[in-house]
Amino acid sequence: MAKLLDKQRYKCALGAMQTVQAIDRALPILHSGPGCAQKLSESTGSSGYFSPNIFPCTSINEKDVVFGGVKKLDSTIGNALKVIDADLYVVLTGCIPEIVGDDSGEVVSRYEDAEKPVVYAPTAGFKGNNYKGHEQVVDAIIDQYLKKSDKKQKGLINIWADVPYQDLFWLGNLRELEKLIAELGLTPNTIFGYKRGIENINKIPEAEFNLLVSPWVGLSNVKKMERKFGTPYLHYPNLPIGATETSKFLREVGKFAGVTEEKVEAVIKEHEDYYYYLISRYADLFLENRVINKQFTVVADAQYSLAITKFLVNDLGLIPAKQFVVDDTPKNYRERITEEFKKLNFGIEAEVSFETDGYKIHEEIRNHDYHGYPLVLGGYYEKEVTENLKGNFLNISWPVQDKVVFDSFYAGYAGGIRLIEDIYTIAVSRFN
Amino acid sequence: MAYKIAFGSSNGIHVDLKFGETDRFYIYRVDGQDLEFLEVRHVDPSSDAGKEPERAASCGEKGTGSCGGNGGGCGGNGHGCGGGTEVLGKVALIEDCRAVVCRKIGFQAQKQFEKKAISVFDVDVSVEDALDKISSYYYKIDSRQSLRKSQAVPEEA
Repeated sequence: MAKLLDKQRYKCALGAMQTVQAIDRALPILHSGPGCAQKLSESTGSSGYFSPNIFPCTSINEKDVVFGGVKKLDSTIGNALKVIDADLYVVLTGCIPEIVGDDSGEVVSRYEDAEKPVVYAPTAGFKGNNYKGHEQVVDAIIDQYLKKSDKKQKGLINIWADVPYQDLFWLGNLRELEKLIAELGLTPNTIFGYKRGIENINKIPEAEFNLLVSPWVGLSNVKKMERKFGTPYLHYPNLPIGATETSKFLREVGKFAGVTEEKVEAVIKEHEDYYYYLISRYADLFLENRVINKQFTVVADAQYSLAITKFLVNDLGLIPAKQFVVDDTPKNYRERITEEFKKLNFGIEAEVSFETDGYKIHEEIRNHDYHGYPLVLGGYYEKEVTENLKGNFLNISWPVQDKVVFDSFYAGYAGGIRLIEDIYTIAVSRFN
Repeated sequence: MAYKIAFGSSNGIHVDLKFGETDRFYIYRVDGQDLEFLEVRHVDPSSDAGKEPERAASCGEKGTGSCGGNGGGCGGNGHGCGGGTEVLGKVALIEDCRAVVCRKIGFQAQKQFEKKAISVFDVDVSVEDALDKISSYYYKIDSRQSLRKSQAVPEEA
């Protein structure tokens, strides 16, 4: 686990209650202290049918540490089933019950015959952060709820991408990826957000393949599904933003899914034509303005750090300074991600640092020569340091303080345009 | 450091009484891992602490359990609530203890113990079991040992 001194950019694994919340009509049941639930519940866009305030919680205390909390967990699950109308109940355990040895799995197994599915994900904080917790929740659904299906639906593709709520654009990004996949003539299947939920979860084993759009989060999930359901997977290692990456993405997915080249190229052409129409209309802004920065730094999780670096180099022609990946990426994935940062157009390579200590990141930003004002895309923590350097700052990763995002997105062709809009809005407002 | 634990029990074998209804506390002395029965402390029926059963009786049809169990919080029955003098008296009787163990302990009484930094355990187990679990818990936290059951080292995430 990472040593953190300053500016944490993720939550503990129990933060995966947000992943559960993102599944329509799924309810987290927390086996943790009341403080854990309280601290983790603050996030934007999380009210609705279920909100963190009503998540059942065992609220364990000293007594349960000494005598065990399984009785309380049992009654909490039993009563949640009675009084809360959900489609799926996901029991999440915090550190305390796992340290003192509550057999939560055994308690949950008592509800195997309940009318509604109850699954259990061990999400103790000492096991990792909420990126790992997200994987644990998906794993729990695969292991404990889903069964192998003999029926395979031609063209049905499960899409896995961002960690809901941790990524503020999760909803919009998923919808945009769905739209692109659908344009290839395939049927996308996702489980997060409006009108997805349990019915889409049920379809998971019937998919032709899993499409993972992420550097590392979710890789263990799709591997598990390959073993359990025999579903192959395509691992696309970064979120495609803008024309270069999205076209590359569509070609790769098309090839994997057996879509004809003509079809793929037709979809790409239509999008690219419009994309470059927009770009050419603003070419004067790009070429003649003196406000945009030469070099940029992204401080975000692997997904965004990689995706935005590729976009800004390949589509906007900016030069990468050092990039920071702050999600405590497991060590075995780091080399591959580092390689991805070197696959940029024009023979450009980006240096990347897997760093979780905000102080060190800010020191490096301060000490780097950006050949002018820096452009920094990061969490809210980077706002002040960028302002001190008179740079341009855009808040694109957690924590988010100065932005409200409903369903906008950066994925795909349209997402690339949104990101250009956001960056240039900041750049031009600087002198106006 | 040696400390004491108070048990609300009718026979010294089971933790079978609620805080409100117990008229005696079995006191054990614990020193590290050494356990020793010390004494039985009776609630003086003439003192404030001893008055509660009468109060409880005055709650009438509802039965003593519903009043006593609340540690004097008979609020629902219109008898007023709050940490009544009977609660304070009983708390004072065992205020030299580190923990109190009863079958049930009402909210008001818990608050009073919290003020004195006395831990409250409302459990329905045998005295021996409770003594064993609580003393080993205190032993571990006092000697800064992990409460972790298994010996497995947390894996590198």
